[in-house]
Amino acid sequence: MAEVAQLETPNTKAQSEAELRVLIDKSCRSPVMLFFSGAIFWLLVGTFFGFAASWKLHDPNFLISLFGVDFGFLNFGRFRPAHLNAVAYGWSSSAALGVAIWLMARLCHIPLRNGALVVTAGIIWNIGIFIGLIGILSGDSTSIEWLEFPPYATMFLFVGYALVSIWAVDMFLRRRPGHVYVSLWYIMAALFWFPWLYATANLVFLLKPVSGSVQGIINWWYGHNALGLWFTPIGLATAYYMIPKVIGRPVHSYYLSAIGFWSLALFYSWNGGHHLIGGPLPAWVITCSIVASIMMVIPVVTTAINHHMTMKGNFHVLAYSPTLRFIVFGAMAYTLASLQGCTMAIRQLNEITHFTDYTIGHAHLGLYAFFTMMMFGAIYYITPRLVDCEWRSSLLIKIHFWACSYGIMGMVLVLTVGGITQGMMLADPAVTFEQIVDGPPKYYRIARTITGALIAVGHIAFAIHFGLMMARLGRKEGGPAYL
Amino acid sequence: MMTAFYIILIGSMTIFGGSAIYALFWAAKSGQFSDMKQGAEVIFGKDEPVGEITDHFPGMDLEAKLEKRKLKKMRKF
Repeated sequence: MAEVAQLETPNTKAQSEAELRVLIDKSCRSPVMLFFSGAIFWLLVGTFFGFAASWKLHDPNFLISLFGVDFGFLNFGRFRPAHLNAVAYGWSSSAALGVAIWLMARLCHIPLRNGALVVTAGIIWNIGIFIGLIGILSGDSTSIEWLEFPPYATMFLFVGYALVSIWAVDMFLRRRPGHVYVSLWYIMAALFWFPWLYATANLVFLLKPVSGSVQGIINWWYGHNALGLWFTPIGLATAYYMIPKVIGRPVHSYYLSAIGFWSLALFYSWNGGHHLIGGPLPAWVITCSIVASIMMVIPVVTTAINHHMTMKGNFHVLAYSPTLRFIVFGAMAYTLASLQGCTMAIRQLNEITHFTDYTIGHAHLGLYAFFTMMMFGAIYYITPRLVDCEWRSSLLIKIHFWACSYGIMGMVLVLTVGGITQGMMLADPAVTFEQIVDGPPKYYRIARTITGALIAVGHIAFAIHFGLMMARLGRKEGGPAYL
Repeated sequence: MMTAFYIILIGSMTIFGGSAIYALFWAAKSGQFSDMKQGAEVIFGKDEPVGEITDHFPGMDLEAKLEKRKLKKMRKF
């Protein structure tokens, strides 16, 4: 493989490293901006679905009848999967693909090749999400969590994603010879794992459905691996690139980053079974999964130590850099969410937290406080380099950061406390189910809707700002040297 | 049909598991783990060297801010 890379050293006209960097950024413009704009559109859509679903939890008739028109079909049961899929595939995956494409080009040190292929992939991907969401809202959901998109939409998603993977292999083989940076390891692994996961899960659910409790295993094998082998590697790849790059200091310990990567690859794929604790499955399946979940402490702690030690002595840069704020928030949330996840796999704790809002809080801590904040940070860094102008307003960035960070911290807090209350009440045979629905947990849910509204404010500020950048209405003067 | 299904499933599992092991061996053999210090520095270059902050709020005078911070620190001693 090394020989191939050496033979095909990129034949670019760049004279200096700075020129090469500009060339790389220019070559990424249309594919990456396509994925980013799609992502932000689905972010707004997903935020709306999430807000409406949250509201419906304390007021089920919300949005059911508008101006005399009956929207009875838009119940919680459709909004909730629509929210999950819009934010997981529409926002998170699109943003992840955009960031991964840009990082690929930067870390391979060659301008993006086969741009048309990536643009085609982006269009197919977004069509798939559109069709899938329409399918869910019209009642075609498969009702398998994380795989709700009906079969006619998953085909688009698979083809779109597979095209990006093929493109990535081509880029990797033609990279500038030399060391493969840790971020590139994570990205290649993620782009390699996800199409396989997605294809296998769809194959055994939709083409040749497995039966009984095996469905549960496959469901969570896929569901947890989508988080652990797709979102987590991309999030960490972003952190491993952005933290050192923004503060101008190499990663504290490169040894730790290698250990973190390989231990994540080894342990994460076993984790799915801990979603089924107490379920009708062989005990050994669940026990294996619990052991692997606890072993996840190794990659998480190595990564946390590494990022913290890299930042040490440079925390003042947080005051200057919007990217770093989001990334460091995300890195801290990663540690917190992962360690919380390890404890949640313990049977005794799981007895209380299972089937409560505590799990929802954990999911938002992981996919929002960690992953989404990472992606925000990366988009703040990448976009100005692609559109040749600087962000318009510090105020909008600050509104975005503070609204989203307070919003998500508040949401996780109320869901956690509410979830424990709920779990304790569920465990008490003297409490009736109605008391749980109408009792204290309900007020936590109202509080959750308020925190969701705060997050929505941040997203709107971000979308407006991004729209200004798309229209090239950013600042032309000053700014870092994009050349 | 069922046999073909199993062959695809187990075959893809073997290929994917095998390629992860291959990747680890390839990494060790091609010297990915040999020079860790140089490895960590591949994302920096002559134009964006170690020690340079590459991001700040729009319109912010980063150098003035850093200078001010430096002076403040010096006054403390």
